[in-house]
Amino acid sequence: MASEKLNMIEQFKNLDILKVDRRTFLKAVAALGATSFVSLYGNQLAAAMSEITETKVLWLHGAECTGCTISALNASSPDFVDALSRLNVSLAFHETLLAPQGIFVDGELVGNSELNVEILLDELVKAGGYILVVEGAIGNGPDGTGKINMIGTHTFKDIYSKAAKNADAIIALGTCATYGGVTVTDSATKRYCDFMGVNQTEQRRGGMNAHLGIRDKPVINLPGCPAHPDWLFLTMAAVILGRIDLNDLSGVLDREGRLKVFYPPTHTIHDNCPRRGFYDRGVLDVRFAEGGCLWKVGCKAPYAHGDCALRKKNSGTSVCMQAGGPCIACVEPIYPNGVMPYYVETESAGILFGINIGTVAALTIGAAVVAAGVHAVRRVNKEK
Amino acid sequence: MRMVRITVDPLTRIEGHMRVSAEVDANGIITSAQSGGTLFRGFERMLQGKDPRDASLHISRICGVCPISQSITSTNALEELYQVSDRVPQNALAVRNFIQASNFMASHATHIYVLFGPDLANPRYRDVLTGSTLRLGATGDALWKELLGRFAPISYRMNGQDIPAGTSYLGAITEKKRLHEAITLFAGRMPHPASIAPGGVTCTPDLGEITKAAALYLKVMEFVQNYTLGVPLNTWIENTAQARSPQAAVKFVTDHLASIVDRSTGNNFSRENGWKDVELFAAFGSELVGEKILGLPASLKLDKLGGYSDPSKICFLSYGAFYDSTKDGYNPSSPAGERFMTSGVVRASNMRYENLDASKITESVARAFYEDEAPKHPYEGTTVPIADADKINFEAPQTEKYTWLKAPRYDGNAAEVGPLARMLVAQDPLITGLAQAFAENGMSPANVYTRMLARMHEVAVIAHKITDFLDDIDPAKRFAEPLDMRAGRNSRGAGLWEAPRGALGHWITTNRSGKIQNFQAVVPSTWNLGPRDENGIPCPVEQALVGNAVSGCDNIGGADFTNPVAIFHVGRSYDPCMACAVHTIDATGKNAPRDYELL
Repeated sequence: MASEKLNMIEQFKNLDILKVDRRTFLKAVAALGATSFVSLYGNQLAAAMSEITETKVLWLHGAECTGCTISALNASSPDFVDALSRLNVSLAFHETLLAPQGIFVDGELVGNSELNVEILLDELVKAGGYILVVEGAIGNGPDGTGKINMIGTHTFKDIYSKAAKNADAIIALGTCATYGGVTVTDSATKRYCDFMGVNQTEQRRGGMNAHLGIRDKPVINLPGCPAHPDWLFLTMAAVILGRIDLNDLSGVLDREGRLKVFYPPTHTIHDNCPRRGFYDRGVLDVRFAEGGCLWKVGCKAPYAHGDCALRKKNSGTSVCMQAGGPCIACVEPIYPNGVMPYYVETESAGILFGINIGTVAALTIGAAVVAAGVHAVRRVNKEK
Repeated sequence: MRMVRITVDPLTRIEGHMRVSAEVDANGIITSAQSGGTLFRGFERMLQGKDPRDASLHISRICGVCPISQSITSTNALEELYQVSDRVPQNALAVRNFIQASNFMASHATHIYVLFGPDLANPRYRDVLTGSTLRLGATGDALWKELLGRFAPISYRMNGQDIPAGTSYLGAITEKKRLHEAITLFAGRMPHPASIAPGGVTCTPDLGEITKAAALYLKVMEFVQNYTLGVPLNTWIENTAQARSPQAAVKFVTDHLASIVDRSTGNNFSRENGWKDVELFAAFGSELVGEKILGLPASLKLDKLGGYSDPSKICFLSYGAFYDSTKDGYNPSSPAGERFMTSGVVRASNMRYENLDASKITESVARAFYEDEAPKHPYEGTTVPIADADKINFEAPQTEKYTWLKAPRYDGNAAEVGPLARMLVAQDPLITGLAQAFAENGMSPANVYTRMLARMHEVAVIAHKITDFLDDIDPAKRFAEPLDMRAGRNSRGAGLWEAPRGALGHWITTNRSGKIQNFQAVVPSTWNLGPRDENGIPCPVEQALVGNAVSGCDNIGGADFTNPVAIFHVGRSYDPCMACAVHTIDATGKNAPRDYELL
């Protein structure tokens, strides 16, 4: 596997990145990772950029923890600022990073867009022609008012609605924005808050866009808690370079609206796990900090589609399982309700993505789930 | 006299969604303030009925800025709940200490440079320093050039011109990333660590990972010494944190600053001339230190913002952080002196240390969007969000409900938490000495200047200690102690810890099946930025805004309501984290969670 990847990298090093087709481009991006991708192609990208106009990015924060912003700031080679400048991206709006704030005097907006964020956002949305990045879920509660999340004098739901309608495309960043994530954890206040993802809430298609009647808007889902910075910046690169056609995303997205290149439908995190060898040898830990396979302490990697184990986190430093932490499938729409309790072996919990394991074989949730279902089926058969 | 109402909403460059509104008189002085949190997610309710061990991984999602603290605090509560605190291996304590220390440094760097710093490049200071009112000439021009060149944020525009991002700002992002890599060696990823679990940690680092962590730390220190601090770290610590008296610590710093002033002929305020970021801030941030002690022609007068006018209504609180990682086990109640940063309380009225008594903590929801209940200790607290959406009104007067944040109190007092509180509780010579100096000059010991300087100083204190934590890790020894699940039935535990922005507590109880009955978090930003309580006592930030000149710098040149920098500085000086601060629980028994069978 590793040598295969090395061969691929060698092959891509000699590509003229601006002339390859989309599939090859995405393969190159996937094989190289952000670390070497822009460093290898930086000059070509810069040359391409000189002919392409600036891309505006509006980044909105809904019901979130700022973890995806913190993660984006952890991007490396190129780092966050380099990525923006090399891709000729203007980060036109970002509440956590930009200078201005909302300012009202006796209830009236004052000043200009350099100091007042409310005026800035209004001007940007009216002008249109931007990619909208959404971090965090969008609140509909209580009672459909959206008042669960207010910013300035508006509900976030209204702010999102206006910004989404005028966007060229939407990138839903992180599991809260894509599927609701932790904000839709089963609880007594879940219905009260009524949080939604952009295009999907848990496994239900539609999300806030359907609720607002926003249709035919290109949406790319980049789940993860938090999302990997490579996923964001390489997606931006592909969109900006025209390697992803926003008007025809059907070929590049999976059933859950994710870019297949980062969330491969054909294999799971388990397939590339640094501890995979222990699984194959049957070294299955039942306690923490033993160094073996984490399946029996609750690892959900066999159910999760992501390139986490190859790409690794934080500049390729490590990944959850490498540090002994069972995968919690945070890139999946069923996270977190389908994967809690986190530390209990999935079969023992009697659930599989929130579904009784007895019925799993009849479901077509995705190739890997069927593969993972082998465990479940084995278990069911044993119980019979 | 006509009052003006200034509302800052959203207060950006913080974590989460916050608003501040202030009544300002005709002279531009703030007469009263209200602080509001404008998003509700309901985290504590999510955990009811769940496996308690899920708390560490789930609760870290409260906050992507301080997830390590949320995870460790939950884990502390669970270790008391499962009665395993006294057996947690030294290795696990050392790993937690190291990643927590790295998270403190990364979080502080992010706050100082990315969130707070850009306000030092606000056009207000261009007008004060280079304008016609003070006529500072070349000195003002040179100082403004330094502020803008170091602290301007990305995508910054002034008078239609694009301003390049500041050198310190950009460098800090790189170093924050590096510290997160060091955390990831032990935690699998950052934010949202994967390896902190009750009983220990799940990772088994070897010598290679420990050495790599040390190498990353040394690289970070290059930035600290090249950009941030103008004396060697050891020299700084020996003469400040380890000084023989508060007076000696303050004298060391003012002598150091005076020596740089002496060699700054020709208005050379460059880093190369010794004006690293700490020196620049320490000298020019304060009227007392800069103008009165050092004789500088001007300052940003941040010491005249964010102070408390009534010491009887405020105290400083710390739960203590960083275990003694030279031995197995720890005391979950965090007794005085056990942790590297001690627990304790200092009342502003006498500035004397007293032991922490966690039973004196209560929360009030009288002014928060929850159904009314008398203030209760977190173990007993019951809270129900108001059902009627029409009552969610952030413009409501201070006698009504106006925020999603609750109002925690210690022995009935509002309490400031965070680096300044930790330093005062620990009786750090430098920060205690500065506080005394301000008090002797009739100023509030706590203000925007001391709050920020305490944060910078704390980075140095932790940077000086962090390699000890690495030394305490022995790869040959064990990293986790198994839990006895039976001990987790009908049990309870309190996690008392510190997040970078202040005291963080989790209180967890379980039912007879060993599932979570009740979970409550009382977090730093609830302490600092909550509303008034049932007695009308305002929270720290609401107190700290009163009496401020709304445009800062004594409103030199006239108050400008369209650019109220005082509100920006004071609000951000607490390093708000609103995602942490808003939460609710419901132990009323209504909508009781379904009870899973114990596996």
